[in-house]
This record gives sequence, C-alpha cells and structure tokens, in this order.
Amino acid sequence: MKRLTFSLIALLALFATLLSACGQVTPAAQPTAAPAAPTAAPVQSTTDGMAITGTVTLWHAYGTGSAEEKAINILIDRARAAYPNATINVLQIPFDQIFNKFNNEVSSGGGPDMFIAPNDSLGSQIRAGVLADLSEYQSRLTDVAPTGVAGMSLNGKLYGIPESFKAVALYYNKSKVVNPPATTDELLALVKGGNTLVLNQNAYHNFGWLQAFGGQLMDASGKCIADQAGGAEWFAYLKALKEVPTVTFSTDGGQADSLFKDGKADMIINGPWVLGDYRAVLGDNLGVAPMPGAIKPAGPLTGVDGFYVSINSQNVAGAVALAMFLTSPESMKVYVDEAGHVPVSTKVEISDPLVQAFAQASATGVPRPQIPELDNYWGPFGDAMTKVLDGGADPKAAVTEACALMNTANGK
Amino acid sequence: MATTNPELTSQPVRAPRSALSEGWKQLRTPLIYLLPALIIMMLITFYPLAFQVWMSFTDYGVIKEEGKQTLNPFGPNGTTPPNYRPAQYVGFRNYLDIVTNNPQFVARLGGNFDFWRLLAFNLWWTFSNVGFHVALGVIIAVLLNVEGLWGRKIYRAIYILPMVLPNIVVATVWRNMFDDQYGSINQLINLLITPFGFDPVQIRWFNQIQDPIPGIGLPLSYYAMLIANIWLGWPFMTIVATGALQSIPKEMYEAASIDGATGLQQFWRITLPLLRPAMVPAAMVGIVTTFNLFHVIYFMSGGGPLGRTEIMVTQAFKLINVNQLYGVAAAFSVIIALVLIPIFLITNKISRATESYDV
Repeated sequence: MKRLTFSLIALLALFATLLSACGQVTPAAQPTAAPAAPTAAPVQSTTDGMAITGTVTLWHAYGTGSAEEKAINILIDRARAAYPNATINVLQIPFDQIFNKFNNEVSSGGGPDMFIAPNDSLGSQIRAGVLADLSEYQSRLTDVAPTGVAGMSLNGKLYGIPESFKAVALYYNKSKVVNPPATTDELLALVKGGNTLVLNQNAYHNFGWLQAFGGQLMDASGKCIADQAGGAEWFAYLKALKEVPTVTFSTDGGQADSLFKDGKADMIINGPWVLGDYRAVLGDNLGVAPMPGAIKPAGPLTGVDGFYVSINSQNVAGAVALAMFLTSPESMKVYVDEAGHVPVSTKVEISDPLVQAFAQASATGVPRPQIPELDNYWGPFGDAMTKVLDGGADPKAAVTEACALMNTANGK
Repeated sequence: MATTNPELTSQPVRAPRSALSEGWKQLRTPLIYLLPALIIMMLITFYPLAFQVWMSFTDYGVIKEEGKQTLNPFGPNGTTPPNYRPAQYVGFRNYLDIVTNNPQFVARLGGNFDFWRLLAFNLWWTFSNVGFHVALGVIIAVLLNVEGLWGRKIYRAIYILPMVLPNIVVATVWRNMFDDQYGSINQLINLLITPFGFDPVQIRWFNQIQDPIPGIGLPLSYYAMLIANIWLGWPFMTIVATGALQSIPKEMYEAASIDGATGLQQFWRITLPLLRPAMVPAAMVGIVTTFNLFHVIYFMSGGGPLGRTEIMVTQAFKLINVNQLYGVAAAFSVIIALVLIPIFLITNKISRATESYDV
C-alpha cells in the first residue's frame, strides 16, 4: 500500500507540473513594484518623459532575416541599453497567425503586453474587446500626422501608437523598365511588349484598381456596391493581364517575391514592408512608382502600422513608453533607413526617393475601413478572383456573386 | 495480497452475504489498482470530451459584435478578464447551421462551405488513399519476400524512410515539389516532353479549377495530394504485410505446388487469405488516420482551390483559427466522431477484425 501511495503522489506531482506548464502562457507578470526605476533610468527626451519600466512583452510579425526584423532588433537593443531596469521580451509570430494568436491568447487571459501590426484587424479586435484604450496618451502624439492617429482610432478613442503608413505601389527593375507605366493601358502594353510582371493573386494587392476603374467597395452603410461600377472592369482587366504569357499570378507571396528578386519578373505590386529586402538584391536598379491608374488614380488600401496594448496588460504605462521609444524620430530613422518604412512622424525627413514614393502612395490611397462589414470582403472576392483567373469565369458575374455573398454575410 | 486472497479462503465458514457485497469485495482490489489510471483518464480524456460536447451547444468563442469573450473566466492574478461573459446555450443551432448549410453562416465562412460535399470528399479521400496503401503495401511486401532476393535488408531500411520523416516536413517538401514556378515535378515533366517538340508546361497543381479528368469532380490538387500521401502511407502497410508473410508456413506453398497450383493461384489462395487477419486491422487504422489527416491537406493545398479539397479536420481548424467560432467547431468535431464511429463499426463487422480468426 505504501508503494501505491507513493506512486499516486508521484503521478499527481507529475500531473500538477504538467498542468502548471500548460497554464503558463505568459511569462509570469513580475510585480511592478519598482517606482525607483524612473529615477534610476536616464530620462530621454525621445520618450517625452515616459520611462520604460517593469516587464514588457512585445510580439511582432516581421519575417525571419528580413530588413524589418533587423530594424526592430537594433531598436530593442537600444531600448534595453537605455533602460537597463526594464525587462523587454520580444517574440516573433508569423504574420498570417499574429491576429488570431493574439485574439485567442488574450481572450483566455494571457497574451503579450503589446504587439505591432497593421490596422488590418483593428475594428474587429476592438469589437472583440482585446485592445486597451490608450486615449489618455493621445496628447503625447504631437508630431504624428493626423491620418496616422486616425488609423489607430475608432469612435474617437485611440487604440494604438502609430508607427508607419503602408500602401502598395509598383516596384520595377530599372534595368528592364525605363519608364514606369502610369496607366493600366500602358502596363498592359508593356507586358504585351515582353516585360514581365508578377501579381499576388488575392483581394488585397490589386484592390487599388477598383477605384481606378471608377468603383467603390462599400457605401456608407457598409453595403457592397462594387458590382454597380468598376468591379467588373477591375476583374476584366486582371483577366486581360492573365492572358498575356509574361504575366504571372501567384497565390504564394514568397514565390512572387522570389520571381522579382531573381530577375524573372520586371515588375511587382507590393508594399513598403519588402523595400529593404528588394533593395538588398537589386540595389540602384530598384524603382517605385504609384500603382497605374485608369479613369481615376488607383486607390490601394492604406493602412497604418502601430503598437497595440492588450486589455490584459499589467503594465500599460511601460508598454506605451516602449512604443513611444520605438516611434521616436531617432528610432523612426532606423525604420526608414533599414526597412524602408514610411514614417507617421512629421519630424522625420524622408530623403530616399523610394520611401517618398510610398509616402505618396499612402497619401492618395483609400483609408482602410474599420467597419465589421470589411471582414466579409476577403473570402468572397478572393474566391471570385480565383474563379475568374483560374476558372475562366465571367468577370461581371463573379463580382456580382461575390458582392451578393458579402452582403448576405453582413445581413444587408 | 496479490497471490492468495484471504477473503476467498475464509469464505465457507462465514455467514452468507449478499451478491452485491460479494461483487464489491471481488472488485475492490482491481479498482484500487485502476484508480490512478482512471483519475488521469478522467482529467485528460473524459473531461475534455464532455467539455467539448457541452461547448457544441453554446456560443462559446470570440463574439465580435458585442465585444465579449466566452473563453476563460480566469485572468492573470486571479482576476476575471474585463470582457468575459459566460457562454450561452444555443441548443442545436450550431449543428443545424452546419448540416443545413445555412446561407448566412456559409457566407460568413467565405462562401465555400458545403457540408455534404465536404463529407463526400472526405470519405472519397480516405478510401482512395487506403486502397492504394494496402494494395501497394501487399505487392511490395510480397516482392521483397521473394526467396534469395539480394539486398533485402537495404530495401527494407529504405522503405522505413517515409515513416520516420515528420509528416509536416513531408507535406512541405511535396508542396514545394509541386510548385508551379520552381517545383521539380513541373521541371521533370518539361525535361521529358520538350525534346519531343512540346512547349514547356507550367501546371498550377494547387490552383487549377478545371477537373483534369472530365466527369470526375476532383480537382488537380486532389491528385497531387494523392501522390504525396500514397508515398507517405504504403510503408506502414508493407511492414504489417511483411510481418504477416513471415508467419505463413512454407509447407502450405510446397503442398500447393505438389497439387499443381501456379504462383498466381498460390498468391490468391494462400498469401492473400492469410494476410487478411493482419491487413484488415491495419487498414482500419489507416482509414481513421487518413480520415483525419491534417498535415497533408493543410500544408499542401490548404483546402483549395475554392475549398474543394478541404476535409473535416482542416475545416474545423479554420472555424477556430480564422473564424474563432469555438462552439461551431466543437459541434463539427462531434459530427466527425458521429461519422467515424459507424465507419469503424461497419468495417469491424465486415472484417471481424477484433474477433479471432481461424483459417
């Protein structure tokens, strides 16, 4: 019996260890009983008097080995050196998982203190109640462009510290393309003349052509109206491109990047987040031009990257202080130089013409709507594109079907 | 305590007791021994199962419209998360949404969801794969069992290879081999056809919508995954078949050849019937594994094109990870179990796999 009791206890102990190991999603929140830290740490003008204290866990979704990852690592090292008393944990999450992982972990009481991502899911995350309200810090964002603050806000409340603007533009290889195409017709003529083009086959990267052909995705009530104007022409144009043998539509972002970087494609439509990586390969041959327009200028979705704080964070002040440090003009300079980010700060001079081109693309793009109706855009329109490009479906019918599906999902 | 039971030896002199208490006396010792295992099973198997069934009748999940979560009432430091609200009972709504393809529910998943198509594809995927696995497994095992075959041990070492590689690695490698731009499969095809004057092809294995064989409603990505999964699955069947082949007495073949049976007749009349008791349970394991084979589908086609190669588990995963509908996903998992249990019972009945088998 003695042996039995012993094994029982041993088993229970093992089980308890397992349980506690499973439960430990977040690093144990350290008691932030260190009010001495602000005096100990050098107060920097860059953080506006805010000092990083306690433990801050940051998630980012920059690719392994990318220029963006290099930039954040430089900045985190600087923050650690400036605030030796603070503990800064950084974890990289693949981009296609960051929103879901954050939502799931925060919903179950864990997750990081903050994460940086585009405002793709801001609206739905606010509605899901996973983000902390940062309105009290809004007065500190004095040298941030108003559209940057607007991109982090919903219903008059601030939910993030903006970092950079992003909108797609046309990258081209100067050794192959001398004059970048200004219109969709010019682009079509170029590829018919032998220049190669790779396009990401999804509902995001070529969204700008909806406006170019005179269309609009949703009306003020969130009802899809792309089938009334522009949508059919947009898809018909993609289909016309697809029929040219020098154009590749790729459903794999890595493959599309490779084709451009290997010189197998002369042009690609992509965002500023790959600027550093493309420049590393193409050097001075890399050019950036606005996405070609048609009857109107193209209107790519303009997003804002920013730092968001979890509703569960025990150290909101420390997290915001880190975000302010990472978006200070000095830090922004690193983001611009290393990764080609378009800064939201008005105090940062952009000398690089490529980054300037992206700044212009962001300024003329369509601000990403934060209404829940947009959540139901991606599936139907992505599928419609597949049906048109891979299945030979009629562009008008495909857009009409996608719009109807989106409105059904939204109950419109 | 274990060898002689004092209760039993002293029984005749004691007063008669009720059958119930007698039964309890008999059960007590085994129960005590089983208790630790039972407690562990309760905690790690039965409780999650029951919890999932409960979940399938609620709206458990991330509720975007209300800014509320129903996931976990326990926040850090013993607090309740500020956005927590208890899950609400919704009856059979989750189940009905799934099996009736509720239009709004389907639209919210992106429009590609059709439960009955999904089920049919999943069953077809399972049986077509396991059919190839078993047939190939037996054929290769018989070939490698030929008397006096040179290098037999080397062949047997090689065919273990697909089994020791992690499934996710295998799926990713095959995904890259089928890549339309850089993949080795397209390059190989071009290497073979361009010398004969054909134009180089660029087959979009996972994107092509038109069915390669008209009349059979299966996209090209199904065939690509079938090839990968056949490669992945036959070695297990070969190992099982090799083991069973070793146990067939040589005298049976000798007697058969004296009676004038040809090699083919020996295969059909001796080898196959004697392999059956080993192969049928292995095939059943194969059916259950392939029915829920997440890696190959998720990492190769991702369910595409247009959700036509989605199977039940990958769809359930998307319900959680993309749509964050935990309750619906739980209902989906219960449906998977309800589909699998009859398959198991029917195959078991037909094959008598769990009964003893006499030649």
